[in-house]
Amino acid sequence: MGQPAPDPKETQRHMSTSPAAVQQTVVDFLTLTAKMRDDFTPDMPLYAGGVGLDSLETAELSATLEDEHGSDPYSTGEMPQTLNEILAFYAAAPAEA
Amino acid sequence: MSHDTAAYDPAPHYDRITAAWQLLLGDELHYGVFATGDEPLDVATRALTTRMMDGGRLAEPGTDGAPLRVLDVGCGSGAPACDLATETGVEVVGITTSAVGVDTARARAAALGLTGVTFEQRDGTDNRFADAEFDRAWVLESSHLMRDKDALVSECARVLRPGGRLVLCDLVRWREIPFSEVRERRVDFAVLREAFGDAHFQSLDDYAALAAAHGLVVDRSDDLTAATLPTFDRWRANAATHHDEVVELIGVQGHEAFVRSCDILEAFWRDGTFGYGLISATKAS
Repeated sequence: MGQPAPDPKETQRHMSTSPAAVQQTVVDFLTLTAKMRDDFTPDMPLYAGGVGLDSLETAELSATLEDEHGSDPYSTGEMPQTLNEILAFYAAAPAEA
Repeated sequence: MSHDTAAYDPAPHYDRITAAWQLLLGDELHYGVFATGDEPLDVATRALTTRMMDGGRLAEPGTDGAPLRVLDVGCGSGAPACDLATETGVEVVGITTSAVGVDTARARAAALGLTGVTFEQRDGTDNRFADAEFDRAWVLESSHLMRDKDALVSECARVLRPGGRLVLCDLVRWREIPFSEVRERRVDFAVLREAFGDAHFQSLDDYAALAAAHGLVVDRSDDLTAATLPTFDRWRANAATHHDEVVELIGVQGHEAFVRSCDILEAFWRDGTFGYGLISATKAS
């Protein structure tokens, strides 16, 4: 048995910094870590008072974003508070991302 | 580590690991305080319990000669509560969010024939007891799994009568860990989370400040980091001795995560990141 063929949609998402791709990465991460809320919106705080990510979960999100999209805002010293702020980072630096 | 207070229920973690941890950590389910480093683990865990008893001044008489009434917050499997009642004659109400913990603790008290010890499934950060219902609040190594430390200390202070005492010991953080370091060492932190649950450590000064903020006068603040360090050797030895039983209870991955977490924590102990501390405080009369 050989390796299964890669999912074209996954391949397309990998390293893409389109808003849809980045948003899907964040949503997948929140779902995987059981932090996704039914009332989640792109403006909801990601940490206390919102989704509730702690420092370790935020570090894991940072690494996931870098793995999936080639860079991440946290590693540049930024601390985006919402999904919209994460999207803004990639929108502002598409060439680097 | 994080200071956020988003809801986290440690009960599933305790439900999953209680039986395995009795084999790995010893019957008292907590660290040991070693005087020489050569003592058996049970002697050292007993020494920590004794130190807590001293900090709580449990030998003092209660009001009007009645037994002291002690709230054990995060009572684990009930061993310290039963020891307290047996040795000092106090009445103990142990609370934990873990149903398995309550069942285990009740069975322990029943087997010992203790009548002054009861256990209930309650949350230490919202315990629902009446104000000034207890003479002592006892928090032995449970606060690291309660994200809202302010609520924990506030609730302890609230249920203490004037002149009552809080005694708390737990893992502590000795330095701020920058985000870049959390990210770099996230694999290690994830192993700790798998083995020990979603723990969040505060500094000993943070605990003292919380106590003061809720009307308690801190009279003791002990750094027990060096004295608890040999605990990891003993836990690793237990993991080897009880390998098959532990694997049966929490799986190969759980066993491996526990052993790995001992190595990681020991390194953090040695490099001054984490450690162990105890505080005691009195509620103003």
